[in-house]
Amino acid sequence: MKNQKDLKLIQQDNRSFYVTLIICLIVFLGAIALLINSFNRLISTHDQHLSGEICTLVSEKMNNSINSMTESTRDISLILSAQGFDSPKDIYKTLKEYPKSNFLSIGFIDSDGVMYATIEERVEFEKWNLMETASMADPVSISIPYRSTVYGQSVITIFSRIEYANSKQGYMFLTYLFKDLQDIAETESLLNDIEIMLMHAESANIIQCVGGDKHASGSWANAYLSMQTVNKSDKEAYINWLNRMLNGESNIGLSYSVGKTFYSQYCSDIPGMPGWYVVVRIPSNALSATMKSFRNYVLIFLAVLLITVIVLITNMYRLTQRENRMLEQLSIHDPLTKVFNRRAFDFAAENLLARNKECALIFFDIDFFKQVNDQFGHDAGDQLLVLFSDAIKKIFGEHGIVSRFGGDEFVVLTEMPSVEKITQMLNKATDDVHNIKLDNENYTDRDFMISFSAGSARFPSDADNLSNLKKCADTALYETKENGRNGYMWFHNLSEAAKANAGSNKKAQNPSENMTIHVKNSLSKNSSCDRNNNSVTINKEIREAGDSISANGTPKKVVKKIIRKKVIRKKIVKPKE
Amino acid sequence: MKRILYSFVLCILLSGMIGCSALDQDKNKKEEVSSEVPDFIPLTTIKEGQPDIYVIIKLMDSSYWKVIINGVHDAGEALSCNVYYSGTNNETDWKGQQKLINTALENNAKGIILAPDDSIELSPDIEHIHELGIPIVLVDTIANTDAFDICYMTDNLLAGQKAAEEMINQLYNIGHKESDSISVGIMVGQSTSQTINERLAGFYRYWSANAPKTWTIISDIKNCNGNIDLGGTLTEDLINNYPNLCGLYGTNNGPTRALCSTVLSKGRTDIVVIGFDFSDEMKNLIESDEYTASTMLQRQYNMGYRAVQSVNALFSNRIPKIKFEDTGVVTVNKTTLYDTEVQEVLEQN
Repeated sequence: MKNQKDLKLIQQDNRSFYVTLIICLIVFLGAIALLINSFNRLISTHDQHLSGEICTLVSEKMNNSINSMTESTRDISLILSAQGFDSPKDIYKTLKEYPKSNFLSIGFIDSDGVMYATIEERVEFEKWNLMETASMADPVSISIPYRSTVYGQSVITIFSRIEYANSKQGYMFLTYLFKDLQDIAETESLLNDIEIMLMHAESANIIQCVGGDKHASGSWANAYLSMQTVNKSDKEAYINWLNRMLNGESNIGLSYSVGKTFYSQYCSDIPGMPGWYVVVRIPSNALSATMKSFRNYVLIFLAVLLITVIVLITNMYRLTQRENRMLEQLSIHDPLTKVFNRRAFDFAAENLLARNKECALIFFDIDFFKQVNDQFGHDAGDQLLVLFSDAIKKIFGEHGIVSRFGGDEFVVLTEMPSVEKITQMLNKATDDVHNIKLDNENYTDRDFMISFSAGSARFPSDADNLSNLKKCADTALYETKENGRNGYMWFHNLSEAAKANAGSNKKAQNPSENMTIHVKNSLSKNSSCDRNNNSVTINKEIREAGDSISANGTPKKVVKKIIRKKVIRKKIVKPKE
Repeated sequence: MKRILYSFVLCILLSGMIGCSALDQDKNKKEEVSSEVPDFIPLTTIKEGQPDIYVIIKLMDSSYWKVIINGVHDAGEALSCNVYYSGTNNETDWKGQQKLINTALENNAKGIILAPDDSIELSPDIEHIHELGIPIVLVDTIANTDAFDICYMTDNLLAGQKAAEEMINQLYNIGHKESDSISVGIMVGQSTSQTINERLAGFYRYWSANAPKTWTIISDIKNCNGNIDLGGTLTEDLINNYPNLCGLYGTNNGPTRALCSTVLSKGRTDIVVIGFDFSDEMKNLIESDEYTASTMLQRQYNMGYRAVQSVNALFSNRIPKIKFEDTGVVTVNKTTLYDTEVQEVLEQN
């Protein structure tokens, strides 16, 4: 958890990835919506054109079917005319011999209007006024569809003129099931959508031939009643279409909507049925249904693709993140103590200071660390570094950044509620560090006490940037060391001279000189901290001892030996409270 | 966990794809509603040794069908047949009728009279009955097959033509001339009913062929959707918007009642009303000396009576020469109201 928090101080915001992903997703969905919209419009336009074409073709097909029926009737009448019959009875007899494979009934009407047919057919002719239709045959005519009494089904009767007995003129008739016409007109494709009707222009009566609703086939309707369902905006066009038909025009197209369904409608006249038209109607969605189905499959495919891509990208991102985190851990943390390394600290510290909160920067230096290494070995030294960093982290880690600055030097940058609070924390750290026990066969807790020297500086009171802040803290640390170690000092509590000279003194020092000073202080028997004054009060005796050593100018090698001896002899004691 | 999640998403997508394709197939499936159907009830005095005739009607609770059943009953009694009847409670419940057909066959029906709820779906059952050699007679509605013996019903196209003929005659009767520029309004009770559409088509057909060219039908056909109050409002619209309105035609009982009521309430004695069925409103107009009105009465009693007659004849192998008999309509107006035929039909209804 702490690591995560630390990382946040030095990492870029991960949310940027998700924001990018969401933006990409929105762009993608927007593009898809645009695509669908364009596709739908394209289909709609295409359908309107195509349905018009199909209507034309189907009406032509229907007309051809009717023509085929009338032509075969006409052929029979021509053959009979050519045979030169004298008697209508002979004609009827010949007609009755025709095989009844394609039609329901056959008969003849002579020039006097005498009908040669069954009694039932005669009744039917009278009922439906079919003699009038016969008289219209020039050379053929077709009755309106009617329900046959004899067959119980809707039928049509086709009449054709026959010449007999030199100049007499009669009419033969063939009655077909209306269903036959439906069967011819029916199309395999668009079976449930295409509607084929016969329409009488004057009455606007419609009889359905083919349609999605089988119940409606052979049934009657009226265009004016049908028109009631047409959208208001299209009604005028519909009436205009009816009027053009009424005026005898043929091949007229019409487009209108019923609710949300767009229809294309087309009519063409039927040559054998004056005043009658073949009307074909297709809802535009009938044609687009297949394309829409394809579109839906494409959409599903895209959705699957999108989900797959998102899952893949997210997984790859997470994998990369994990690897990056590992690398970051390696690159920003000190491998031994697991606290930030110097580079990471600088970065994190800049971020923390950028928040402009009051902070404290504290430099820690383990007193006489080198001697530990020399006395107990590097493993013990490493152990001490780990234990020391743990102690520091435990106290300052919650609100600050802990870093190993190099060797036995640690630095902490922490939020500072008050100087007193940080001082308390430093005291606690002093106690905790004093209690550090090394796990080493050569070590006994009587040998010596672990201590540290620290220098603190405040942000922004002492310095308003990291560089200067570090200098201030370093100065304070220097002064602590100068004053006998095992303690801490605040930069703002230093004398002006110390503040001014510290830098120059430090600059003048070299590592050996520092070591000399450390040795002097570490040899002190009793050191104590005047914690009330927030400054280190070095035991005079120790200081004097240190001074004397220093004054003696003992060579470095000698000093080292002395240190070893003194440490082993447990010369350092816990400072008095 | 992730695998389960991915599998779940994949399953949803696959089922979505399957669902999409299945949707198109399901679209054309016909809605099949089957309700409970009542048992057959004896209609005539049941006597042993007499042939059993089973009658299956469309609607059990309907005054129209009661008249048909009356015809069946009277013929059954007259011809000494055991007649049982039942029917559905919904005019589209062809599956219910299918059940009734099977029951009738299980009960060894000697003849079946059927008013099919669905001309297409019940055709195989009708053919099956015919193949078994059992006389099958249809009433009111014909089937999409010729495997039946005979059908008795009103040819509504002809009924519509007759209504138009009556309208023209009545307009002449009240003094309109061929040169007059007059118009006729139409109101239907439903736009999808085949019966109504045929009556409308028949009316238009006759009118376009026989009415003077200056006599026009208002193209704005009103549809009251079976609502008589709405029908009244729509009639007022016609009266108010078309000053030369001289005739009103109602294709069935509902609109006819609405037309009669409104014309009566508005005191428009100059408007001829032609409709169907003999409602109180129509009766008031016909019986009034000031108004001109006529109505077309179906002979549904005859449908039932003739159906039993035909089944009985088929028992003796007397096969009818025709497959369809139009029972026709009778025109009721001031002149014909007290005719024997009209009174007879009115009595039956």
